[in-house]
Amino acid sequence: MSQGSMILKLISLPISIILICLGIMTILGGHITPGGGFQGGAMMASGIILSILVYGLGNSPLELSHTYIEVLESVGALGFVIFGLIGLFVGGFYLYNVGTDVLNIVPAAIQNVFHYPDVTNAGIIPYLNIFVGLKVFVGLSSIVIAFAGFKKIVEESE
Amino acid sequence: MMLSLGPIIFGLILGLVIGSQIKLGVSDTHFTLGSFVVIFIAGIVVAWQSGNYPFYTDLPISTAFLAALIGIFVGKLLFARSK
Repeated sequence: MSQGSMILKLISLPISIILICLGIMTILGGHITPGGGFQGGAMMASGIILSILVYGLGNSPLELSHTYIEVLESVGALGFVIFGLIGLFVGGFYLYNVGTDVLNIVPAAIQNVFHYPDVTNAGIIPYLNIFVGLKVFVGLSSIVIAFAGFKKIVEESE
Repeated sequence: MMLSLGPIIFGLILGLVIGSQIKLGVSDTHFTLGSFVVIFIAGIVVAWQSGNYPFYTDLPISTAFLAALIGIFVGKLLFARSK
């Protein structure tokens, strides 16, 4: 499936790495700037997609294995649900922000555990962004990996 | 100056997770140590141009970007598989 010239092959991995870093930066600024989990995850996936399109499936330096996709997808979904349930059991509402505690119903110890270490008082929002970002990253990447795989199968059968 | 630890810690973790999937020597292009030094310098330029995103109070360079870049390289060195 690989159809890139030498110039494309030389420049794609550096651009992919920089795209992934930009995606991570967008995720980590999601609670106070435009962007967040979905946007950052899509940017990270675009790095993987660029790499797969240029180098081809099975030949790409940045390629995610089946187990890796499975684990990250599960961690993203489970993390989001677990944070929601912590809010439900400690604060009384699903996805209650236990790190910030607007309603003053959470013990200080629990509040300190879930407080994100930065100057803003964002609580669990950055963690939710990270989980959503991981899920979107592997979700979009797996779609392209599947399409590239199907194309390979069709080419082989013809 | 007040350095926020959040983006540095989680940038490193996310970078480590993704850097573990880089494997070299699979395509017909060869990336050497020099290539990665060039990528790192290019990354520092991008981080500098991004400004002090996302918190606007700490270093005049994007700490999240830089932490992610370092995380990817460290993850590649420590956990990357060879094919």
